[in-house]
Amino acid sequence: MLGRVSVGEVSSEESSIDVLFARTAGGDRAAFGELYDRTAPRVFGLVRRILVDAAQAEEVTQDVFLEVWQQAARFDASRGAAVAWLLTIAHRRAVDRVRSAQASAERDLRAGIRELATPAEDVEERVELSVEHERVSAALGELSEAQRTALAMAYYEGKSQSEIADALHLPLGTVKTRLRDGMIRLRHLLGVTS
Amino acid sequence: MTEPDEELRALAAAYALDALDGEELRRFETELARSPELRAEVDGFRAVAAGLGAETPELAPPPSLKAGLFARLGATPQLPPVDAAPPAEPAGAPEPDAAPTTAPAAAPAPMPEPEAPPVDELAARRRRRRLVASLTAAASVAILVIGVVIGIGWSGPNGWGAQRELAALEAAPDAQRQTVEVSGGGEVTVLWSAELGRSAVMADGLPALGSEHDYELWYIDEAGPAPAGLVGANSWRVLEGDFVDGMVVGLTVEPAGGSEQPTTEPIAAVQT
Repeated sequence: MLGRVSVGEVSSEESSIDVLFARTAGGDRAAFGELYDRTAPRVFGLVRRILVDAAQAEEVTQDVFLEVWQQAARFDASRGAAVAWLLTIAHRRAVDRVRSAQASAERDLRAGIRELATPAEDVEERVELSVEHERVSAALGELSEAQRTALAMAYYEGKSQSEIADALHLPLGTVKTRLRDGMIRLRHLLGVTS
Repeated sequence: MTEPDEELRALAAAYALDALDGEELRRFETELARSPELRAEVDGFRAVAAGLGAETPELAPPPSLKAGLFARLGATPQLPPVDAAPPAEPAGAPEPDAAPTTAPAAAPAPMPEPEAPPVDELAARRRRRRLVASLTAAASVAILVIGVVIGIGWSGPNGWGAQRELAALEAAPDAQRQTVEVSGGGEVTVLWSAELGRSAVMADGLPALGSEHDYELWYIDEAGPAPAGLVGANSWRVLEGDFVDGMVVGLTVEPAGGSEQPTTEPIAAVQT
C-alpha cells in the first residue's frame, strides 16, 4: 500500500501500466513495447538529468528496461506502484554509473546545485501526471532550503551522504539529519503511509 | 525477528535515495534482508523518492534505443517470480530479494493471457484509435501503389505474386499494422499476420538515397537480424523470410545491393 498516493494519483493510467507489467512478466513483447513507449521518456528524463551525458544516459536507460524485462515477474504490486518501481531501478542504475565514472568533477560543473531551483517549469507534456506533479512541487516548497539542497544533491546528482558533506563542507551528521528530516516531511506532505 | 537498531533505521531515507555507500550500505542491506519493518520503511521512502523522480521533465529517447533494446531481449531470459529461486542474479533486483522465508511465494503474478482479460479501457481505446489511423494511412498507400502497378504482369517485389500476398495480408483476420516515423524523414508502415507468417512494409516519403545506398529491411529476433529484402523510398514489399509474432521489423541504410548484417543503426523499428 505504498506509493499509491505519490505516484498513483491517476488511476486509469496507473492500472493499465500494471496490466502491461503483468503481461510483460508473461513474456508478451508487444506489451513490453507499449510499456516502454509509455514510460521511457520518464525514465530517460530522470537518467539523463542524473548523468548529464546523453550517450551514457542512453546506455543506462536500455539497461533499466532490460532489467524490467528480466525482473517483471518479481514486481510485487503490494509494495508500491509499478512506475515507482521503474524509477527506483532507473535511479539506482544511474547512481551506480555516476559513482563508477570518476569524472564526476566535470559533471558537477555542468549540473550544479541549481537543479531544484526550477521545479515547475516543464508543464507541456505532463498532463496525465499534473496532479502528482503539482503536489510534489508544492511539497518541495514546504521544505527548508537546506533540506531541499541536500535532497537535490542526493537524488538528482546521485551523491552519497558523505559526498554531500564534503561538497557543502558540513559535518556528515548534519547532512544525514537534513536528508532524513526532509524525506520524513515529504512523506508526510505526500500522504505516503509507512 | 530482531528490531533494527535505531541508527540503522535512521538510514532508511538515505538508502531509498541511493545515498548510502561503503560500509554503511553493506550494514544496512544486511539488516534490510532480515527486517520486514525496515523493508516497509524503505518502501515508503521509495515512493517518496519516486515522486522526486516524476518531477523531472520527460525526455524522449532516440528510436534506436528501443530497437537496440529489443535486439537484446532474446539473449535476456526472464526470471521466474521469487519463490524458491536462488538469489543468484548478478544484475540484482531493486531490493535484494534474497530474503528467504518472509513471505513464501506471496504473489506470483497471475500472468494474464494476452487477449483474455479485460484490458484497461483507456489503453485499448488508444490502441484502437492508433490502429485505425495507421490503417487508413497505410491502406491509401497500398491502394495507390496497387493502382499504379495493376495491369503490369511483372514479377519481383511488387509483382503479381507479391500483390496477392499483400492482399492476403490485408484480409487476414489477425492482421495488424503500425506506422512509425523514420528518423531523417518519412514514415514506414508495417503490416503483419502471424497466421500467414508474412509481413509487408510500406515506405512513404523517405529521403532519396543515391546510387550508392539502399534501404534494407530486417527481421530481428533472438537469433539477431536477418536480411528481409530491399525497399524503395516510396514503395512497398512483402518481406523475404518467415514472419513470427514478436519479431522486430527494422530498417537500415546499407551499401547498394544490401548487406548480410546491418552496418548502420536502424532508422526505424517496429515491434510486432
